Amino acid sequence: MRHLLLKLEPVIWLLFGQGIMIGTMLLTAYLAIVGLAIPLGIVPAEALSYDRALHLGASLIGRVVLFALIALPMWKGAHHVRHLSLDMGGLSRDVIVAPMLYGLALLGNVLALVAVVRL
Amino acid sequence: MARAANPHAMSPSRPGRTRTAPPQMPAQFPTQGRYLTYTLFGSTGILYLLCGFGALRAVWILGEHSPSAWQAFQREYATAPLIALHVVCFAAVIFVGVRFFSLFPKAQPAKIGPAKPPPRAILHAGLYVAWIAVSGGLALIMAGGIF
Amino acid sequence: MSEQKKTFVVTRFDPDKDEKPRQQSYEVPVQPDWKVLDALNFIKDELDGSLSHRWSCRMAVCGSCGMMVNGKPSLTCKDALSNYGDRVEVTPLANFPVVRDLVVEMDGFMEKLKSVKPWIIVAKERAVEEGTYRQSPEELEYFKQFSMCINCMLCYSACPVVGNEPEFLGPAAIALGHRYNMDTRDEGAAERNEIFRGEGTVFACSYANECSEVCPKHVDPAAAVNQSKINAVIDWATSFVVPRGGK
Repeated sequence: MRHLLLKLEPVIWLLFGQGIMIGTMLLTAYLAIVGLAIPLGIVPAEALSYDRALHLGASLIGRVVLFALIALPMWKGAHHVRHLSLDMGGLSRDVIVAPMLYGLALLGNVLALVAVVRL
Repeated sequence: MARAANPHAMSPSRPGRTRTAPPQMPAQFPTQGRYLTYTLFGSTGILYLLCGFGALRAVWILGEHSPSAWQAFQREYATAPLIALHVVCFAAVIFVGVRFFSLFPKAQPAKIGPAKPPPRAILHAGLYVAWIAVSGGLALIMAGGIF
Repeated sequence: MSEQKKTFVVTRFDPDKDEKPRQQSYEVPVQPDWKVLDALNFIKDELDGSLSHRWSCRMAVCGSCGMMVNGKPSLTCKDALSNYGDRVEVTPLANFPVVRDLVVEMDGFMEKLKSVKPWIIVAKERAVEEGTYRQSPEELEYFKQFSMCINCMLCYSACPVVGNEPEFLGPAAIALGHRYNMDTRDEGAAERNEIFRGEGTVFACSYANECSEVCPKHVDPAAAVNQSKINAVIDWATSFVVPRGGK
């Protein structure tokens, strides 16, 4: 498992890098509007009414953006939580923790694909 | 008092001729001085996982093709606990962006083949321009400003 | 000149006598222009000849006198005592096994340095008749700062990954390997990038940036390590397309 993790590291690191870069940029907008501005009434709820949200989300570019919004932060999250575990002296349990975390991100990515396809 | 490091940290492949005392982590690790910022930065990973799965749930609900389900979701997001969570997540995302963008320019090799990166200050500014453009653009679309 | 006294709390460890390290206090009359090393040398010369510590050049070029001062990695010949209050705690470099008092086991560090093949690697040696290598000032700038490392090991003491993952090559070793990878005379980048993706993996670095914060020579090893990640990824990706064995 350790050998497999070492072999996959360039890929994981690339995904993690995009998770920070693109994931942060997309999450900023999502949290600002969906998470805060609409719930607080700063932006009217009709802006993302069911019809408009579906219309935007179901467009080709909408599906791509939504997939990136869901999928990429998961890789940043998984990678950093793994490093937190290692920082706390978790080297011996890394062979379990790392596959669990990356597996969770992979599962999330698969579900993200399903989620945007069924829009 | 410092905590113990991994007992094999910096050990040579063959032991020396005398007994050594085990290695200790730096005293300020993990929650003092600059290490606190670093540990917080790593901890945002938990929030990013939450946000990713939260966004997944939102898109999944949208994909139920049920206006009432979507409206229930919007009402749920308007409750105090979720607003508080989103405030924390938003702060985390800004913190991650600022720290990562400050570290990004010096991580670019001086040259890859014939290509060279722009000067670090310009690259740093460019990252913020991209952040404002991408986030601002997406936010405008979501808020109904365009399209 | 008025005499100021500071209390130095110093780690002592004699493997023949002590089960584990202990602390010993010394009252030292200090001069205003002293560095931490001056106080340690005073202790050894005037108060307690049994204290063991490494030092040599006294001018921040040899890298011998690295220790933790008040919990932070410090090059003690460079670190002014005026930076500290009346109580100064001196302990051996973090993340290293301790041989005695303030002296740490260095062999592990030397092995990591050597493992990155820190020399010019060429496929075929240049004949004398071919003349010297030509390298422009711009080409020198690609790697010059990474060649300024004095092997003081402060970066290893600051790095949280070094303390938790013994296989990690560490900041100085990776910066040194990167120095050669970016040297236009060198043809060994493929070999070193395989080492960088091996057990000592550069990807273990979590970009704490502490190594660069503590480096007394402004080498910026964090930059080297993270540039190496990009180079290693490109090398890995192109290895699927370009057969190995070339430059």
